[in-house]
Amino acid sequence: MANESTFPEVIAEEASSSPEARIQRQPLVLNKRNFSWITERITGVVEQRAPRWWWVTFTFTATIASIGLFCLGYQISTGVGTWGLNHPVGWAWDITNFVFWIGIGHAGTLISAILYLLRQKWRTSINRSAEAMTLFAVMCAAIFPGIHVGRVWMAWYLAPLPNNYGIWPNFRSPLMWDVFAVSTYFTVSVLFWYTGLVPDLATLRDRSTTKIKKFLFGIFALGWRGGNRQWRHYEMAYLLLAGLSTPLVLSVHSVVSFDFATSVLPTWHTTIFPPYFVAGAIFGGFAMVLTLMLPARAIFKLHDVITPAHVDKMAKIILLTGSFVAYAYAMEFFMAWYSGNQYERFAFYNRVLGPYWWYWWVGMFFCNFISPQLFWFRWCRRNVFVVYFVCMCVNAGMWYERFIIIVGGLHRDFLPSSWGIFHATWVDIWTFIGTLGIFTSLFLLFVRFLPLIAMSEVKIVVPEADPHYDVDLASHHPVGAGGMERNQ
Amino acid sequence: MSERTDIPKPEGEYFESERFGGLSILLALVAFVAIVLSVVGAVIDTTQFAHSWLFAFAVFFTLCAGCFFWAIVHFAVDAEWTVVVRRQLENIAVLMLPLAILFIPVLVLRHHLYEWMNTPVGADPVLDSKRQYLNWNFFLIRAICFFLFWIVASQLLRRLSILQDKDGNPAFTLKLRKLAFVSLPLFAFCLTFGACDWLMSLNYKWFSTMWGVYIFAGAAGSSMSLLVLVITALRKAGYLKDVVTLEHYHIMGKWMLAFSVFWAYIGFSQYMLIWYANIPEETQYFIARNTESWWYLSLLLVLGRFFIAFGILLMRFVKKNPGELAGIAIWIICMQILDMYIIVLPALHGTGVHVSVWDFTSLIAIGATLAFIYLRIVGRSSMFPVRDPRLIESLKLVN
Repeated sequence: MANESTFPEVIAEEASSSPEARIQRQPLVLNKRNFSWITERITGVVEQRAPRWWWVTFTFTATIASIGLFCLGYQISTGVGTWGLNHPVGWAWDITNFVFWIGIGHAGTLISAILYLLRQKWRTSINRSAEAMTLFAVMCAAIFPGIHVGRVWMAWYLAPLPNNYGIWPNFRSPLMWDVFAVSTYFTVSVLFWYTGLVPDLATLRDRSTTKIKKFLFGIFALGWRGGNRQWRHYEMAYLLLAGLSTPLVLSVHSVVSFDFATSVLPTWHTTIFPPYFVAGAIFGGFAMVLTLMLPARAIFKLHDVITPAHVDKMAKIILLTGSFVAYAYAMEFFMAWYSGNQYERFAFYNRVLGPYWWYWWVGMFFCNFISPQLFWFRWCRRNVFVVYFVCMCVNAGMWYERFIIIVGGLHRDFLPSSWGIFHATWVDIWTFIGTLGIFTSLFLLFVRFLPLIAMSEVKIVVPEADPHYDVDLASHHPVGAGGMERNQ
Repeated sequence: MSERTDIPKPEGEYFESERFGGLSILLALVAFVAIVLSVVGAVIDTTQFAHSWLFAFAVFFTLCAGCFFWAIVHFAVDAEWTVVVRRQLENIAVLMLPLAILFIPVLVLRHHLYEWMNTPVGADPVLDSKRQYLNWNFFLIRAICFFLFWIVASQLLRRLSILQDKDGNPAFTLKLRKLAFVSLPLFAFCLTFGACDWLMSLNYKWFSTMWGVYIFAGAAGSSMSLLVLVITALRKAGYLKDVVTLEHYHIMGKWMLAFSVFWAYIGFSQYMLIWYANIPEETQYFIARNTESWWYLSLLLVLGRFFIAFGILLMRFVKKNPGELAGIAIWIICMQILDMYIIVLPALHGTGVHVSVWDFTSLIAIGATLAFIYLRIVGRSSMFPVRDPRLIESLKLVN
């Protein structure tokens, strides 16, 4: 531009709030930590003796998991009658828990695959734990469709069996699609997670002090030496798996939503269900990632790797997906009214003012819609207590949401004389609490035995990893500026 | 790709309007003739013309709304790659103002388009039960509000962005970010209800909660294709040569791919759920479009908008070749035109495809008018934000 005069008012504003500082990109690893620090801090979690808190927590969660397993055994040996299911509510906590856990399992693959394709480098600090969480959540989810069939020993009928067995799976049933979608998702997620783990397993192998550890880590590290060719193959495999996983993130919860949306029930049958469920899953999944990572960060002192900027970004994703979920709620209400269909209208009226009104007002309205709105404000995203509060609201809200969709759609059906209320039994309640125990126990074991942060990937995002990194210009070089201090 | 060393100095590049004076006059002439013909059409074949005009309006409306979306997303997510192409998104987004004027024929000819406007109270209980929403006054108020939002937001977006060209003050980036945050939910609201009012209510008995998302999916993918076309045309004319690189093309191609898949996902979900449940009040929409000669066009849409676009865009060399990517961009825009055609015209010709000359005149009239105005706008500022704080990052982009 020929005329380069500046505006005085603009300059004044610039001086007062320093926008330059505000638009600076935040470093992904704080305090100029180097490769050595990253390795020591993260492998330290695995290599040191299990702290006392770990044993106490693990004992507690394992006890709860055992109660859950007992409930499963009791339900399988006695029958589905141990649950509160009865006419007209034929699906309740079982499928609610299934959808809840499957939803939790979405954040991991979103972080590791979609954010990888979008070149979001901040994902490296949280992807490993999020993927592990995904696997454990899918394991918990898989329990429920298996046991809700009643005769669990017949669950193998769901598998695509050769026709000469004379069993003809109903390929037109969305429950059948679920089996394919969830098992594919689980398989690819395991592969993706394991592929990412290989370089870090090699690090653990090389640092092992006992022969058994060296042997075991050595087997799973697949002979990784960190050579140029190995990295090239690794990165190609990782990219391909990311590409394969991306449609899976969308497809799994879409198929889960088909379980409901292919029916003709008001509140179940609505076309927005697939993207609405996917957004809800990512929403709930990110809340769970933060629920686990914030304490892990505090306990293992990982504040330099999982920085306030990371929490800020995850909070924004919660706000975005929460807003889409709120959009879907609004569209459901609007279209139910706009349809002019009396059954649709009644079902939504019943959702807000029927017997389960408080589930809607507290669970869906407050927890899922109102609470994430706090994340519009920067100070809320930067305050871990506010973030934790919102995440707990979302965790609860997403369970309530599925309960309202499932039970709310069933308890007042087309024949008023058969209306009823669902009453959960102790088996219902403890099976669900048991899966919480299984989930947390598995996560604690993961933290104990595997690096909870992808060391090799975090190292790629520090400035030293850049081939153009200028040693002389960087005052914080380990040799030039007291590197020993930085290792502490 | 290794890092670039030939980074151009940020002095800006300016479109020489006088160089393209001939094109401008030609566009003005074409627009004038097409508008005159449209007036003739409106007089002699009013109902057909009304539908043709709405179809053409829907095509360009989705393209402009999509460009507005990409521009605000740039600020909301603090992206860097978009900087060099962002000015063109802003230039297209401000075409919402002329589009609002071009919407007037829809309002004038409303009785030929929307059956619910002619149905007397008491004739249909379903319609009566939603007259609080479907009534002329509220319809008009909504349309005014939607356009007001788009016009104000798109003008603000472009003006603040151009102001930053003068001194590169990052405060503008922060202001634009705030504008983007406020605009995103409002954009979703206005696009959804605009799509419901103008397109879905062509058949007031039909409804789908996915409708807004479906229109958005088509708009986002086709507007990214339009951006590729505009950038390629400007590069052919000798502009942005050192600014927009193959890396930027690669990313634009990736978004075209992503939104081809997203469109298919949303379209399939909507179709499959309605087909599976088989409820007459919902299936009527697709029955009209899957029978008679409409079936062939619907099939072409599915094949063309998803399978062909997806298969080609999956290949990296296509995304990194401006010529080839522009070719597929033209194809996607053609598919968007087809999509809007299949949405609007079966409301009039339920018995089969009936191509009318007014379909073409409307498309040319709106298209030429907007292209003419675009040529007037594009020369008024640098062709890329010269002092955007993220410009260097965008220039150095490596995929």
